Amino acid sequence: MTTEKQMDSYLATLRQHLAPLTLGEREEILREIAAHVRDSAEQSGATVEAVLARLGPAEELAGEYRDGLLISRASRSFSPIVLLRATLRLATKSVSGIVVFVLSVFGYSFGAGFVIVAFSKMIFPSHAGAWVQDGRLVDFGAFLYGTPAGAHEVLGVWIIPLGLIAGSLTLLLTTFLIRNSLRLSRLVQSRL
Amino acid sequence: MTRLEMNLRGPEPEQPDRWEAQLRKGAVEMAALASLWQGRLYGLEIIRYLQTHSQMALAEGTIYPVLNRLKTEGLLTSEWVEAEAGHPRKYYSLTDAGRNRLREMAKAWTSFANGLSRLLEPVLNEEEKTQ
Repeated sequence: MTTEKQMDSYLATLRQHLAPLTLGEREEILREIAAHVRDSAEQSGATVEAVLARLGPAEELAGEYRDGLLISRASRSFSPIVLLRATLRLATKSVSGIVVFVLSVFGYSFGAGFVIVAFSKMIFPSHAGAWVQDGRLVDFGAFLYGTPAGAHEVLGVWIIPLGLIAGSLTLLLTTFLIRNSLRLSRLVQSRL
Repeated sequence: MTRLEMNLRGPEPEQPDRWEAQLRKGAVEMAALASLWQGRLYGLEIIRYLQTHSQMALAEGTIYPVLNRLKTEGLLTSEWVEAEAGHPRKYYSLTDAGRNRLREMAKAWTSFANGLSRLLEPVLNEEEKTQ
């Protein structure tokens, strides 16, 4: 293969694996890598093939770009989708990543659960609440079919503000947990 | 065996050279910022600068994704500059935020390193005695 072909094929693979990035970001990266290969070959007298080998496989290089961008964007984001995607990526890399991912899923589910219960109370007042029997909490939430037998509901409409506050707090806490773990993971780059 | 499975088996006893490699890799961000303290450089110059000033031999592919991320975080800016004879190169320079971040990093790093050195003093002293 001629030098030019080797270079083109490397850049083509890189382009393909950088597909999730915007067109502008992608072309900028390709331009920079192409300039690097030319400079490095000229200055060190190495062949293009050797320089490409030093760069490592195009798939891996693209992966590092993608991970870096995903995580640095997510660590400033509030969107659950962006944050969960980044934690999922982290979970494929380390045990602590798996823990963060599981905690995030729990956090988001509980947070959303509280909010749903609060809204259910507004729409179907008799189906949402906290039921107590013999001094113990037996059920909390919103129920499609019937309510716990033999227990009585204690919160009434108070479940609306309580659910909203508990829900928002849980969601916020989860968001900050994820963002901080992402920041930490960036510092401990060897795991990425 | 996938990487995930490897991680699930728990931390493996790591080879010292691997540990050192991870330590170096963890410092790449700070090193890249520090290389730009005195002025703009392009990617290959940063790699060379780190090699000559800190014996930090990086795989050539390591630095570019790091630079890209530091730029998205607003710590670096970049501009394409046409070389006298040849093709344009992408030069990086520190932003004000980058300078501030690097100052903080330098302080934190120094106090951390000093603390660790004190901790390691007995280890190194003993080695001297036995030699």
